[in-house]
Amino acid sequence: MIKLEDITVRYGEKLVLDRFSLEIPPEGLTALSGPSGCGKTTLLRVLAGLTRPGSGAVSGADPAKTAFLFQEDRLLPWRTAEQHITDVLPRARRGEAGRWLDFAELADEGGAYPAALSGGMARRLALARCAALGGELFLLDEPFAGVDPDRAARILDRLRGLGAPIVLATHQPQVLAGCDRIVALDGPPLRRV
Amino acid sequence: MNRLLKRSLPAVFWLLAWALAARWVGLDLLLPGPLAVGARLAALAGTGGFWLSVGATLGRVFLGLAWGAPAGAALAFATHFSPWADRLLSPAVRVVRATPVVSFILLVYLWVPRGAIPWVIAGLMVLPVVWGAVSAGLDGLDEKLLELARAYRFSRGRTLALICLPALRPHFAAGLSTAFGLAWKSGVAAEVLCPPVQAIGSRIQQAKAALETPDLFAWTLTIVALSLALEKLLRRGLGRGNKG
Repeated sequence: MIKLEDITVRYGEKLVLDRFSLEIPPEGLTALSGPSGCGKTTLLRVLAGLTRPGSGAVSGADPAKTAFLFQEDRLLPWRTAEQHITDVLPRARRGEAGRWLDFAELADEGGAYPAALSGGMARRLALARCAALGGELFLLDEPFAGVDPDRAARILDRLRGLGAPIVLATHQPQVLAGCDRIVALDGPPLRRV
Repeated sequence: MNRLLKRSLPAVFWLLAWALAARWVGLDLLLPGPLAVGARLAALAGTGGFWLSVGATLGRVFLGLAWGAPAGAALAFATHFSPWADRLLSPAVRVVRATPVVSFILLVYLWVPRGAIPWVIAGLMVLPVVWGAVSAGLDGLDEKLLELARAYRFSRGRTLALICLPALRPHFAAGLSTAFGLAWKSGVAAEVLCPPVQAIGSRIQQAKAALETPDLFAWTLTIVALSLALEKLLRRGLGRGNKG
């Protein structure tokens, strides 16, 4: 089990997680659903080891073996789409870049710089890079923002095919429909509803 | 044609103004006209000594850039990432930046051989400018991209190569472009005050001592023309490097 126990996170005066606990099965797709600003991103960041909680403990998620998709695309303006993929691949696997571009339906955009990509394409590139990085757990923050629903469903299937458990935060009903379980949340501070 | 006219009109205007002023003064010793200076420049350019002096001065300026720019960039990294380096070195770099170039030339004259003074001075003028530009770039590095590098397990070398250096390149280029003008002017000033055997500055000094004002103007024109041409080349080269 991926476990969060009594996690507290505070940003200045704002209490985002207040002794929050949650157990997530380490398999399939788990969706975190809730209004914007309720604390989903903070929860994912704690799981990824990017935000250190003021108190509490995380178990079952090793940050060194986790692939995290940020809420923003965080693409490098000076790297092409293909280079974004090769940048996260070990030297021996750099030839796989085309496969990961196909994965996100970006096969024709390998030579494009981020400035030439639409919002949805940029999102898919960020997702392809995260998938190429790989790991024992995928943590995806709004993975399909700006991506049309049919394409999102196809990519979600491919993500599932990678075999690692996925925890994602989303608002999109079509994405929620494709998940194995939904954790409904509200906040801040974050709570299950 | 229209573009050519627009570009050449200001030059024609200033040449005419210069010619009229020279005619009004009526003494080459005080203000030689453009024709006299042009004739002198053409005569000088026909001698091997002219090109030797130009080449030697260029070499010293580029030597100054070659040590001042990397040293400025390295110091910027040191003062950005080490609080102790910042406390120790930043005030020293600011002192170098604020010190008049003439003071430095006279001080350095006491410490290094005469032939080395121009490139030492040029580098000293370049260093704080590049330090300031690279420091500003480091301060402005995108924290979100640095966090991405950590989350995606980039090594320090890859973070430097993929995120830091490309983000710093425009800052470094802008700093280098400004620094080049300073290196050129300070290098020649050092040559005038501490003249080496072959140097534009030495020729200027000789022209001044011999009251050869047309020579003085011809050498000054050479400096201006070289500075403008090289700055343009440098900008073009750096601009090309920034694409993508």
